[in-house]
Amino acid sequence: MNHDSRSHFQPQTEPFSRRALLKTLSCGFGYLAFAGIATRASASATAADNPLAPKAPHFRPRAKRVIFLTMRGGPSHVDTFDYKPQLIADTGKAGKRPGTQLLGSKWKFSQNGSSGLWISEIFPNVARHADELCLVRSMQTDLPSHPQAFMKMHTGNFQFVRPSMGAWSIYGLGTVNENLPGFITLTPPSGFGGAQNYGSAFLPAIYQAQRIGQEGRPIAGAEVRNLASPLSNQAERTELELVQTLNREKLARDRFNPEVEGVIQSYELAFKMQSQMPQVMDLSKETPATQKLYGIGEAATDDFGRKCLLARRFVEAGVRFVEISHGNWDQHANLTAALGKNAQSVDLPISGLLTDLKARGMLKDTLVVWAGEFGRTPHAQGGDGRDHNNKAFTVWMAGGGVKGGFSYGQTDEYGYEAIENKVQIHDLHATMLALLGLDHEKLTYRYAGRDFRLTDVAGSVVKEIMV
Amino acid sequence: MKTLTFLSILALIAASGGSPLAIGEVKESGVAGAQPFAQDQIDFFEKKIRPVLSEKCYKCHAENSEKIKGGLTLDTREGMRRGGESGPAVVPGSLKDSLLIDAIHYTNKDFSMPPQKSGGKLPDAVIQDFEKWVQMGAPDPRNGAAKVVKKYDTEKARSWWSFQLPVKAPIPTVQDAAWPKTDSDHYLLAALEAKGLKPVADADKLTLIRRVYFDLIGLPPSLPEIEAFVKDTTPAALAKVVDRLLASPRFGERWGRHWLDVARYAESSGKEANFSYPHAWRYRDYVIAAFNKDKPYDQFLREQLAGDLLPAGSEPEMAEHKIATGYLAIGAKSQNEGNARQFALDVADEQIDAISEGMLGITIACARCHDHKFDPIPQRDYYSLAGIFLSTETRYGTAMGQQNRHSTPLIELPASSGLPTIPEILYPQQRATLEMEVAQMTRERDTLLAERIAARRSGNTDNAGVLKGVKALVLITQVGLKESTLNFFDASGRPKILAMGVQDRPAASQNPSEGAYDFGGMKQAGKGALARAYGGLPAFPNITDSPLYARGEVDKPGEKVPRGFLTMFASSETPAIRPGTSGRLELAEWLTSPANPLPARVMTNRIWHWLFGKGIVESVDNLGSTGHKPSNQALLDYLALRFQQEGYSVKRMVRELVLSHAYQLSSVFDEKCFAADPENALVWRMSKRRLDAECIRDAMLAVSGDLQTQPPVGSAIAMARDGMINSPRGPRGGGISEETISAETAVRSVYLPVARDLLPDSLALFDLPEPSLVSGERETTNVPSQALYLLNSPFVGNRAARLGERVMVGYPAGPNAGLAAFLRERIEYAYWLAFSRPPDNVERTAAMNFFNRFPAGWAQGSSGLAGVRDAEAAKAAWTNFCRALFASAEFRYLN
Repeated sequence: MNHDSRSHFQPQTEPFSRRALLKTLSCGFGYLAFAGIATRASASATAADNPLAPKAPHFRPRAKRVIFLTMRGGPSHVDTFDYKPQLIADTGKAGKRPGTQLLGSKWKFSQNGSSGLWISEIFPNVARHADELCLVRSMQTDLPSHPQAFMKMHTGNFQFVRPSMGAWSIYGLGTVNENLPGFITLTPPSGFGGAQNYGSAFLPAIYQAQRIGQEGRPIAGAEVRNLASPLSNQAERTELELVQTLNREKLARDRFNPEVEGVIQSYELAFKMQSQMPQVMDLSKETPATQKLYGIGEAATDDFGRKCLLARRFVEAGVRFVEISHGNWDQHANLTAALGKNAQSVDLPISGLLTDLKARGMLKDTLVVWAGEFGRTPHAQGGDGRDHNNKAFTVWMAGGGVKGGFSYGQTDEYGYEAIENKVQIHDLHATMLALLGLDHEKLTYRYAGRDFRLTDVAGSVVKEIMV
Repeated sequence: MKTLTFLSILALIAASGGSPLAIGEVKESGVAGAQPFAQDQIDFFEKKIRPVLSEKCYKCHAENSEKIKGGLTLDTREGMRRGGESGPAVVPGSLKDSLLIDAIHYTNKDFSMPPQKSGGKLPDAVIQDFEKWVQMGAPDPRNGAAKVVKKYDTEKARSWWSFQLPVKAPIPTVQDAAWPKTDSDHYLLAALEAKGLKPVADADKLTLIRRVYFDLIGLPPSLPEIEAFVKDTTPAALAKVVDRLLASPRFGERWGRHWLDVARYAESSGKEANFSYPHAWRYRDYVIAAFNKDKPYDQFLREQLAGDLLPAGSEPEMAEHKIATGYLAIGAKSQNEGNARQFALDVADEQIDAISEGMLGITIACARCHDHKFDPIPQRDYYSLAGIFLSTETRYGTAMGQQNRHSTPLIELPASSGLPTIPEILYPQQRATLEMEVAQMTRERDTLLAERIAARRSGNTDNAGVLKGVKALVLITQVGLKESTLNFFDASGRPKILAMGVQDRPAASQNPSEGAYDFGGMKQAGKGALARAYGGLPAFPNITDSPLYARGEVDKPGEKVPRGFLTMFASSETPAIRPGTSGRLELAEWLTSPANPLPARVMTNRIWHWLFGKGIVESVDNLGSTGHKPSNQALLDYLALRFQQEGYSVKRMVRELVLSHAYQLSSVFDEKCFAADPENALVWRMSKRRLDAECIRDAMLAVSGDLQTQPPVGSAIAMARDGMINSPRGPRGGGISEETISAETAVRSVYLPVARDLLPDSLALFDLPEPSLVSGERETTNVPSQALYLLNSPFVGNRAARLGERVMVGYPAGPNAGLAAFLRERIEYAYWLAFSRPPDNVERTAAMNFFNRFPAGWAQGSSGLAGVRDAEAAKAAWTNFCRALFASAEFRYLN
């Protein structure tokens, strides 16, 4: 198999990073892939050799992976996780915005678990996990407008194109299964910043997410496009070896060409994905009991249940960062029906995910985050709706080193504004990175003459919520 | 109010009582100007208000404050009423709109005044005085202009290099006087020599011809073309090729696409509800033709800004000018925006962004909410431009529907304009059926809506009524789609010649423009409420100046700002806007005047970028102070001036640059130069460049022999006509599916459908820029999805099979000749076709190995199938081989 002659040209210098590695792989990519030795990348591989190789965090990580549950549209905090009895009592009184009336939640709140966290009846199953939940009730973001707030939540910035939090995470930590992307996003919306929300911006493109499906379409049947080869394994292997031989020859000729290195890398990953992705995505491998746990098979919960189960399978297989999107939580009108329907479709699946992770011993080092881009007004809009509110919303986390049964921060008596222990998006990002063992001030990338961070020049870790 | 769903719209119908659908209307509340006050009121101010302001506020909020906080000054009437960054401090007569009242009440802890260090909250009696004063109309005798607080030093900001007129520096002398082939080479070499660097050797002829073909026409050279160039040893050999390529219609397809990136060209509205623009392709064709006929760039810009207002010598020329204004109409829009004023201001904002980033290379849109923080662009300048676009009616079409509140008519062009139409016909019978259905559905719709409104007025909110409302919404969409079909065709059944574009609104003295179809009579008198919500009665129906909206918020209109242009380039020659017109014509004159230093620089820098892979200013869409500085300003200014002097000819500029020595350098690596200039900013070699998505796809079509060079009429979206992108086709959607978008075709990539958020794979995967943004440059990524596309997609497989056939036919052997026949020759031939060169030894060996190891039957899916004929095995092997060539890095990189 040794057909990789590079006597053609030997450079005098080694001006760049990955040459050495590529040279040592004299049998080429085909050998590596077929020998199966790369199923789990060896920990000795360094970041200089392979940008996706696992990297040591800055300090002891409390979480090894993240499942980010995005509730796109801005879920109402006062109807879900931020109990406001005064708002309920003052329903009908004048709201803060002229001409509006306060609208108390139509859902009853109760205390749950031994911690006694107040959670609305709209989330009966999630509430059963109250003692695992860490509620941050004092979130704020910059602007009450969807695209801006959605991009801020994902990239820390809405004015400029910046890498997403998932991209930063695998840039910082690498990934433990090279056969799969390090960062996967399920059914993201095509608007609200679109691919920027899971992109890598100026970070190397290898850190952007693999998208599967799109918002508004069922996840069942969604696939990574062009994943299936039209050829037999052997024919495909022969063809790929030729491609990579030609690529390495070009790299040798060019002496320095990081982009060709990128091409070589993209084939390595593509081939591995081709074999492993369909297996990981095959939910039929799960027992009926597990499927039921996630609400798969029930009309209301089937779609989100599949996404949650896929997320568990992905993180179990070594994917570092999985994001699941669910929309639309933008209840300007029709709050009662639409919010109830939204909650119903995610409640059981999320509960199933938490149960399953816990049963597998994974919840302790998997950070689950539930968040929308902002909250909603305590006053009504058009009778049965709520407007955008960037001054107050609730995000919750579970697992991965956060205090369970814990509530952090407060809003005012109606839920208009966070008034105690405010947490901005940069703070949330800093905290998530800290839970992954990364110092947000040290996780930098040099671009256009300066070092960039996910948290720009702001952000402080909310240590109070960490175990 | 961005993402109104079907049901939420219904809820709004239900909720809005006697004034159905009248949502999003905003009260106009202008800022009161100077007015006479009674003496007792003035006395009140002098006794009760002024002393407090002076004692408690002026320290931080007066013209002579050491540091003016929040941009707010309270020492003049104007300053108080205009307010600071948060909006007006005092709105006469309105306590709730007066931020100052809010602040002194200490209701918001981040926003409480005076601060503790100035004594804290005022006594209640004083607060009551302030309230009383505001309620009496805030009488205030203090005249004088308020200081406009700037975060930057204006003079310093204006001294930024790109805001100065370009100056021709003397042609520098260089040490290696034999090297330069053109004047531009002198500037380039001088900069290299100043760093002690020498350019690398020249590219060989094979590299050069491939480079110049892709750069000029986006296709690889054919073998006879390569041969002719190699054999031509005259000094003019390259110039001959270049002139031929510049004259080829393929040039416009390549360079027009560059401009389409800048123009954020797309065939749908994007954003929340994505409606198709089935007539956008006329603008695409205009751009391609403009580059082909080398339309002077300044004229090109004028036509796109104000073509409808320019003189034209003939019907075809008039039509061309009107289509050019499509530049202003093809942007992304929130078709379901409920607030008509918000919508109008957003459209204007998008247009301002398109001209500022696209034509001026600066970011004016930053000044919508506040003075630009870095460039000398005050918020007033933004609204002076906004007035021009608010006075302009943008006609982009789109089918009316429950998710589309802002459908408009299109520009209809006469048959004498001689323009093609898509090959569709509406037969009389079809028209009759449609008309009957529309009439029926309209009646039904209006009955249902009338019943709904009556029921709500009587307080009846039963479920049957709700269902009627749902039905009415479905009917609104269905009628909209059918109306759009009827409007698509003329009475004879042929498509009308329709285009997107703009025109001036009527002057204030005339009837306001309706700005929408008369959908089934919805616009008729008595149905105003419905039309307001669903026809998008324009918020600014006449020529008007724009109010300055505090913080860009539509419910905070301030005083009106006269229409005009950027004050930083104001001079005695700045054209005055003729009364009764929008001002677009004058905008076009101002923008293309030699007194404006930006457009010529921006375009020459882009031309450089498109030929060398990196601009002289790297941030090609931002020459402002947040962008990069030029790597060689003398070179850029020389080129910009030359561009102007040579009549803004893009072709001449391209020709000059391609014939420069710099362009003909090899891309070979050089340690010393690399160490000094790793980014190759000074061009010590030609940068290695990834081909654009279109070039990759077109090259596969070209070398497989499949490319259809005849331009199509229209596009897949034109053929699908009106509807929503990527929504199911049905009563509520009229959707245009992913299958429609990605159907395999052999036309050049520039003619593929460009629906926002649903781009064809072949383009999106290889970094076609987001078509909602002005993009003078593209990203280059290397991701597994590209690898998977090249290895596994049917499109690439089909091209590889065709190239394989071509290679085998080129060296015919018998039907059962097997793989060995002409193997070496065929490999050689495939290499020439795919890469414009023969394989090197490593590549030849690898190829031979590939075929030696390729047993019969593998490609059939089950290994080692017995009985597969040699010819089929050979075909399969050649398909795989050719796909490997397409998939290899060499195919998508230019040396």
